[in-house]
Amino acid sequence: MGFFKEIYRNRSLYTLALPGLLFLVIFAYIPMFGHLIAFKKFNATIGFWNSPWIGFKNFEFFFSSGQWLEVTWNTIFLNSLFIIFGLGLAVVMAILLNEIRLAIVKRFAQSIIFMPYFISWMVVSLMVYALLNTTDGMINQMLKSLGMDAVGWYNNANFWPSILTIVYVWKMAGYYSIIFLASITGISSDYYESARIDGATRFQQIRHITLPLIRPTIIVLALLAVGRIFYGDFAMIYGIIGDNAALFSTTDVIDTFSYRALRQLGDFGMSSSVALYQSIMGVVAIILFNWIIRKVDKDSALF
Amino acid sequence: MEQPALRKRRNLDVEYTWTGRLFTWSGYILVALFTIFCLVPFWMVLINSFAAEKEIMTNGFQLFPADFSLDAYKMLFKSNQIYSSYFVTIFVTIVGTVLAMLVTSMYAYVLAHRKVKYRNFLSFMTYLTMIFGAGLVGFYITIAIYLDLKDSIWALILPYLLNPFFAFILVAFYRSVPYELNEAATVDGASEYKIFFKIVWPISLPAISTVSLFYALTFWNDFWLSLLFIDNHKLHPLQIMLRQLISNANMKQYVSGAAMDYAQAIPTYGLQMATVCLTIGPIILLYPFVQKFFVKGITIGAVKG
Repeated sequence: MGFFKEIYRNRSLYTLALPGLLFLVIFAYIPMFGHLIAFKKFNATIGFWNSPWIGFKNFEFFFSSGQWLEVTWNTIFLNSLFIIFGLGLAVVMAILLNEIRLAIVKRFAQSIIFMPYFISWMVVSLMVYALLNTTDGMINQMLKSLGMDAVGWYNNANFWPSILTIVYVWKMAGYYSIIFLASITGISSDYYESARIDGATRFQQIRHITLPLIRPTIIVLALLAVGRIFYGDFAMIYGIIGDNAALFSTTDVIDTFSYRALRQLGDFGMSSSVALYQSIMGVVAIILFNWIIRKVDKDSALF
Repeated sequence: MEQPALRKRRNLDVEYTWTGRLFTWSGYILVALFTIFCLVPFWMVLINSFAAEKEIMTNGFQLFPADFSLDAYKMLFKSNQIYSSYFVTIFVTIVGTVLAMLVTSMYAYVLAHRKVKYRNFLSFMTYLTMIFGAGLVGFYITIAIYLDLKDSIWALILPYLLNPFFAFILVAFYRSVPYELNEAATVDGASEYKIFFKIVWPISLPAISTVSLFYALTFWNDFWLSLLFIDNHKLHPLQIMLRQLISNANMKQYVSGAAMDYAQAIPTYGLQMATVCLTIGPIILLYPFVQKFFVKGITIGAVKG
């Protein structure tokens, strides 16, 4: 009763929300039924409802292959590298940019550092290829001109956690440093003035004023990223690595694995068991993250 | 008597001691180095898109190639693929951004509206989709099989029409709009539609333009949707064209269309670099004008989100 009355009374407002609501239902909620395919032997020709249930068969295949360990580890490991080095360098850059007194230099440097954020991963992939390909890549050309041997970057998986981290820092440090810079600018200049009167050096001011005061921002951003630690950046990894199987052992993440299972093997069952596993781990990570953030900073907790 | 003078000298000391100067200069140098590091890949693709293919084949990619040529651009502009890819990307970006903005701003407005009893439930529903993903398979089947959008340009637009994160940025903004405005308009007999489109929309223009730019960037740079749903090369956006230039063995035919025939060898690297430049060109050209909107959006998102 109350429900229909409310809808009727505010019908024009609910109409405004209708397209968005329809979107959520069609593109977010209906697809969630796809998780059920993890328990089915899916056959596209007979459809979703007629495909037979097979229990945990799809999971068995994924978990017994040992690949689940590899892709889970890669996802967590790469994301951790991205969080530590991405945020770390962004903090350093924000502090150094803030120390620059010449406004023009500061603005110019900030603009350039922020620029890679606007470039698609596909473009980044071509840049990486131009730098690293074995015969004509710029890095190998430089090595050769220094009398060293060319390195087969694209054949050796061990290089790639570092390479991907460098690429990530290149692309995202500017983005995060903008957030940190905003939070540094928000610090009252009184602190610095009184510190200067007491004879604190620039370095001491950074260590004892700037860093402690932007600590909450660092923690929130880091924890937000930790909450998504089970989600690999598909566009990044697939854009740069693509289908190069020689590099899978260190770079294949849950998302790329699930994508290949679907698009290349056409294995709907395995792909969705992987996706369900990821979604559940994702929720666990979020709950854990929320629990931690509650301890650290109650106001930033999500629920 | 002595204290103030001493303090003043110390104050100067901080800026002018050796360590102070050393610190300042090493800061400048580090920033300069990182700036160069960020700039080099851009320079590399730009300069090598003008390098002669022979030069790249013999000496590899260089920061300062010796021999230049316009072959890559000439071939690109004579071909078909670049035009159709450009058209797809521009169409998807413009139509996508307009539709997404309409859907998102209306939806966010209702989420922020005090009169709406179920606004918290709607927020929760929206938020839940951020936490619990649908997974690739369900998403794929819904769009490819049930909506039958395979090889349709709408598959590149519809799935991105409502980004929960952008919606919440707008919700935060609408909440800061004084509610009295709404009440006054209601007393004057304005309908909810009129209030939204004639009053709220104009005053939200700064927030709306910021979010639109984020949407535009998403649509321009996306290759995920086209990777999943587009096989027809006529519907390849620029990002997928780039991918084909790396992975497609029959590049010549792909780029030029079947009808054309080239006597000379095709400048593979040159084509790749030139297409990169054409793909990021519009972004780089607009960058000085739109940068401040993105900075604003990111800082708002970080504070409120």
